[in-house]
Amino acid sequence: MSSPEARPNPLDPLGLMKGLRDAGLEQWSKAMTDFVHSEAYARANGEFLEAWVGAAAPVREAMQAAIVRALAEWNLPSRDDVTRLAERLTRIEMRLDDLDAKLDAGSAPRTPAHKPGAKR
Amino acid sequence: MTSSAKAPALAAWPTPVDVLEHAVRTKGAFSTFHRLLTADAPIARTPKRLVWTLNKARLFRYAPCAPPEKRRKTPLLLVFAIMNRPYVLDLRPGHSFVEYMLRHGHDVYLLDWGVPGPEDKDLAFDDYALDYLPRAIRKLQRIAGASEFNMLGWCLGALISTLYAAMRPEEGLKNLILLTAPLDFSDKSAGGFARWTSHPAFDPDKLTALFGNVPGEMIDAGAKMLKPVENFVGAYANLWDNIEDERRTEAWHAMNTWVRNVIPMSGAAYKQLINDFYKQNKLIEGTLTLYGEPVKLENLRANLFNVVAETDHITPPCQSAGIMDKVGSSDKELFRVRGGHIGIMAGRDAEKNTWPHLEQWLAARSD
Repeated sequence: MSSPEARPNPLDPLGLMKGLRDAGLEQWSKAMTDFVHSEAYARANGEFLEAWVGAAAPVREAMQAAIVRALAEWNLPSRDDVTRLAERLTRIEMRLDDLDAKLDAGSAPRTPAHKPGAKR
Repeated sequence: MTSSAKAPALAAWPTPVDVLEHAVRTKGAFSTFHRLLTADAPIARTPKRLVWTLNKARLFRYAPCAPPEKRRKTPLLLVFAIMNRPYVLDLRPGHSFVEYMLRHGHDVYLLDWGVPGPEDKDLAFDDYALDYLPRAIRKLQRIAGASEFNMLGWCLGALISTLYAAMRPEEGLKNLILLTAPLDFSDKSAGGFARWTSHPAFDPDKLTALFGNVPGEMIDAGAKMLKPVENFVGAYANLWDNIEDERRTEAWHAMNTWVRNVIPMSGAAYKQLINDFYKQNKLIEGTLTLYGEPVKLENLRANLFNVVAETDHITPPCQSAGIMDKVGSSDKELFRVRGGHIGIMAGRDAEKNTWPHLEQWLAARSD
């Protein structure tokens, strides 16, 4: 909105503040960047996360357990049921992908690196 | 508004006409500002065709635009990070890396990892590098009718590409381009992420136990906190300053559309990234295993072009440059570009400072 060459426009208070803002912003930015890259911030960040997760986890677990019980009462699938189903579908999709590759090649496909012990 | 031709001519006491004109223009500026912050820009518009899917992953082939005699035979696969959308590679018409490579005759494919759902929380780098990626490559090779291919990996996409290249050197990878690849975490003080995550109090296991997948908003906030004033204040102040410059605002809008589209990251991959890479530096230490197989960087023998961004605060240059002595490639080059993590490929100087170097390096080494 403002350009440094222009004479200050009394109708543009944001423009009038620009010089002040630019001068402050650079120093503020440097100070904040130094702060977030400090050991103190890293420790505070880790500790905050630890405390937050520690407080939220029991609440979330209790809520989930209640929801699972309620869904079971109503004969509805839970998130875990749907997740397991989705995982099975992905495994089927992988078999189809191998079949598709066989059809493409007209012979056995190269191993797509599906190793024993692979999760999928 | 004061940048207009009228502003310098304003008298000390503006006339009612000046006031009215200013009010109208300010209203227009606010309206533009609001639109840029809330509406989506048209991005990822280069024509493409879906050629393969698996779970959430999708492989696209872009429609060639070079004349047939100028087209190259060796296909190029683009692999982006797993916690952002890949469309930054095809940001907007007239400023798209995909478009640029197509114009130079490359046969371009894009692997989109998709948005992980709760059922994907156990997807790890093992799965991405040794299951999903090889399958996508198998399909690409069939479609292109080529046994050899080129690959460009960016950010965590570069990490996945490196793992694949080291584990499957015999599967036809000819040229590998890595962009801002986070690979070497020897220096725990380099960059905010390394410092934050290597602190003993930072426990990714507890975080993923709570959420399953790590929410995209959390990852986005973490990235923005690396430069908080620039990201939370400076970006918007600059936008306001240039609100009447259509070319700049549209570029900002496209980038902001991409930035706002945050996606979660698979919990298992997140844990692995923090514990195995950031904290223990297993890839460089030679102790990393995927599906029980050791990852040996000396097995990476494809031609390598390793691009680092000199002012990258997400992946500092030392995290990428450290692999040059470890890989087995005989043709390898470390290339430094002025700019940041995303700016080197999507910034306004990318077409001048980065893309031509990538294209020329690749063109000299592929059919």
